[in-house]
Amino acid sequence: MAVLEKNTMISLAEDAVKAALKQGAQDAEAYVYEGQASNIGIELGQISKTNRIIDRGIGIRVAANKAIGFAYTNIVEDQKAIEKAVSGALSAARASKPDPDWNGLPQKKNYSETHKTYDKKILALTSEELVNIAATMLDAAGQVDKRVFPIEGGIGSAYIANAIANSNGVTGFDRGTVIECSVATLAKEGNSVTPVCFEFNAGRTYNLDPAWIGREAAKLAVSALKTKPVETKSGKVILTQFALQDLLSYTLINAIRADSVQRDQSPFKGKLGEKVASENLTIYDDGLFAGGLHTWAFDGEGAPHQKTPVIEKGILKNFLYDNYSARKDGKESTGNASRAGYLSTPGIDTTNFHIMPGTKTAQEMLSEVDDGLIIYYLQGAHSSNPVSGEFSVVATPAWKIKNGEITHCSRGVMLAGNIFELLKNISVVGGNERQMGQLIAPWIQVENVRVIGQ
Amino acid sequence: MKDLIAKITNTATQKFGAKYAEARAQKLYKTSLTLKEERVEAAKQGIENGVAIRVLVNGAWGFASVGSFDDAILESAVSDACRMAKLASARLKTPIKLANTKVVNDRVISKPKKNPADIQMEEKIKTALSINKASLGFDKRIKSCSVDYFDLTGTSTFANSEGTFIEQDKLYVWSRITASAASEGVFTFSREEIGSTAGYELFDTQVPEVLGVKVAKLAIEQLNAKSPKGGKFPVVLGPNVVGVFVHEAFGHLAEADLALSGGVLDSNLGKKIGSDLVTFYDDGTIEGAFGAFKYDDEGVPSHKTLLIKDGVVTGLMHNRETAQKFNAQPTGNARAEDFRVEPIIRMRCTYMAPKDQSFEELVKGVKAGYYFKSFRGGQANLDGTFQVGIQEGYEIVNGELGSAVRNASISGSTLETLHKVDGVGKDFMLDPGRCGKGQTAFISDGGPHIRISEVVVGGSA
Repeated sequence: MAVLEKNTMISLAEDAVKAALKQGAQDAEAYVYEGQASNIGIELGQISKTNRIIDRGIGIRVAANKAIGFAYTNIVEDQKAIEKAVSGALSAARASKPDPDWNGLPQKKNYSETHKTYDKKILALTSEELVNIAATMLDAAGQVDKRVFPIEGGIGSAYIANAIANSNGVTGFDRGTVIECSVATLAKEGNSVTPVCFEFNAGRTYNLDPAWIGREAAKLAVSALKTKPVETKSGKVILTQFALQDLLSYTLINAIRADSVQRDQSPFKGKLGEKVASENLTIYDDGLFAGGLHTWAFDGEGAPHQKTPVIEKGILKNFLYDNYSARKDGKESTGNASRAGYLSTPGIDTTNFHIMPGTKTAQEMLSEVDDGLIIYYLQGAHSSNPVSGEFSVVATPAWKIKNGEITHCSRGVMLAGNIFELLKNISVVGGNERQMGQLIAPWIQVENVRVIGQ
Repeated sequence: MKDLIAKITNTATQKFGAKYAEARAQKLYKTSLTLKEERVEAAKQGIENGVAIRVLVNGAWGFASVGSFDDAILESAVSDACRMAKLASARLKTPIKLANTKVVNDRVISKPKKNPADIQMEEKIKTALSINKASLGFDKRIKSCSVDYFDLTGTSTFANSEGTFIEQDKLYVWSRITASAASEGVFTFSREEIGSTAGYELFDTQVPEVLGVKVAKLAIEQLNAKSPKGGKFPVVLGPNVVGVFVHEAFGHLAEADLALSGGVLDSNLGKKIGSDLVTFYDDGTIEGAFGAFKYDDEGVPSHKTLLIKDGVVTGLMHNRETAQKFNAQPTGNARAEDFRVEPIIRMRCTYMAPKDQSFEELVKGVKAGYYFKSFRGGQANLDGTFQVGIQEGYEIVNGELGSAVRNASISGSTLETLHKVDGVGKDFMLDPGRCGKGQTAFISDGGPHIRISEVVVGGSA
């Protein structure tokens, strides 16, 4: 099915806004989304499934007497369905309670140009080519070792487009591409099964190395076959991007959201300008990062994306704002209103959360550790206390580092502590940056982490 | 609707060479609300129409989803699904086959006492607001409280090329309450979820004011709690923790797709992996329970599936594909979140069967350990490592409950831990929840109080 044209999407949004104003809304906003994705899937060691998903819809947010209503529909071809959504949003608002803090929708501002977010090559990929890429990855994993079993994975390409309009004259359209290729493997020997080891490439432009993905996932699984316990103690831990992503998304990210701060849910409240982390740590929320998985011209309510310093050399610089929380603090939105397609209202989230890299290579980092652990994957990070930052998680698995070399794998190792203490104990920030979901980060070495062995 | 989807399955088999085809057309109506500190963030409602098409061509799956009932669009989706499946099948080593299941013709009508679709938005806001107010008013150290409310009604119409045709109503009512408390630099957090497939009458038993206070109390109690010691300890687990343990530590391993993926259960079918006290079920037939339904998204009737009996693995949760591989009966566990995704093996209501001990007896048997009453998140890995975070916990000293502990978690190997279950209570409770496996599924889990002789407790002290 052909994608909706830019003009069609913008007029869908603008017409809905006009209709809402006509029906008595004080503020109105319409967000139109379209996603078309093709996936080739690996299951139980073979390419055995495919899917093609087309999803489009419109979400309408209105304010009537400072009360907010929202309605959506995925029937965009039918003018009546859209009108029904508009009146649904208004009736929801009229049923709701006024919010004294409501202070309007974003004002019209200029958008910056985004880079490396749209690649025609991704859209031109045929199903045959996708199957071949998946096969290359699968074969590479299988060739590493007979004990490796690729359990799932695949390759997916997608086209995504957003249009927005509001009653302050904001109109925007942006579109982009995404490609993702991944495989999850485990290794089996006798009765011993390793944890799932995962590797991937994901990006906005076509730049894949499927053989590398297959090989790396398989190598990790094989290295997790033989395990030895580690002792319970506090020590050095290198966190890879997988572990960082898990840990940070349930703790630090919550603490820097302006709504958490305003609701007394962040230990960072009142700490702007103070030292909250090791001086090695600098983090930007960069919604314009070239090729970033979350790079778009504007956010979920049409505020321009920007690059916001969050922590610079350990000093807390800014919180992340949407328009609502910004108005409450007398500030400007930082462009962090995030939206799950057309199905919901925006909420504050990071764009590309960029931990600035240091200079050391992975090899240099490992070689300088005399006694420690390296953690790839974590389990249970979502059970962390999002307010206090306390966590108690399992490494699945951990690898022991002795005299600069990875010596063996260990299962069931627990890490416990507090993310905000952990930030202060960062001793090395690597140079091996990579992108993983909202995180762009290198490896990070932390001192004095509580490790509970078996 | 019947003609529309019959046409899809006919086109797939007759025109595009599919050996099997199914279509699932859905009309869904959703309402949701978020309240924070008595402020309604947004009152939301939505309508979704769409069709999921799944075909088997030369032993490979093709799936397509479109948000439309338009003939031409559906035909192009069927064609896409068949073409892509055919391409993928070129590399197949083991073509996919489906276990037989009986042809069904049925109309399943939900009969709520209070249909959420008939309840006005004002009323739903009022309910959420009472929860919110009760929580915030409980203690001035409560700093924030969020109430999420969600309901879904609608119809899912399923047909396949074997002649099955099922029109099944869908109904869910769900709410989550979270509260945070702060005092003297200590931040705590608590949460509670309720849910039902019966109707809005859920709030007749889950009284909003009581619910609000319950969540607030949990956050306040943790303020004075201490960090637990890390290490191996005996523990007594409450039904809420037992539920998530059964779900995470065992349930996922008993999903046949994950067992086939190399999970530890594949090699343990028919073997004793737990103490005699351990009996687990996954039951899709409990009326009104979150996660219960009459037919799954492959048109298979939902079963009560025995997973472990007296410590011996007796069965797995199947879809038609895995049932064929194991030469077993499909159990009705194939579920899809909506028409945008394909059905995969999911749990329904997963629980441990009660035995005969009282809570006091269980606690009495512990010299130095913990009582973990409710959880905050849990996760498992295919190698059988699990982790469950604890929201509400207490020390046990010389057989008696002691001080509260916060931010604890338990972890271990499922297969070792099930052997260490040395006491099972006579009480029983099911809690609703949501499970993520790429898609979200509404589920329940639970059981009685149990005692485990040794488990790793993660604590920072």
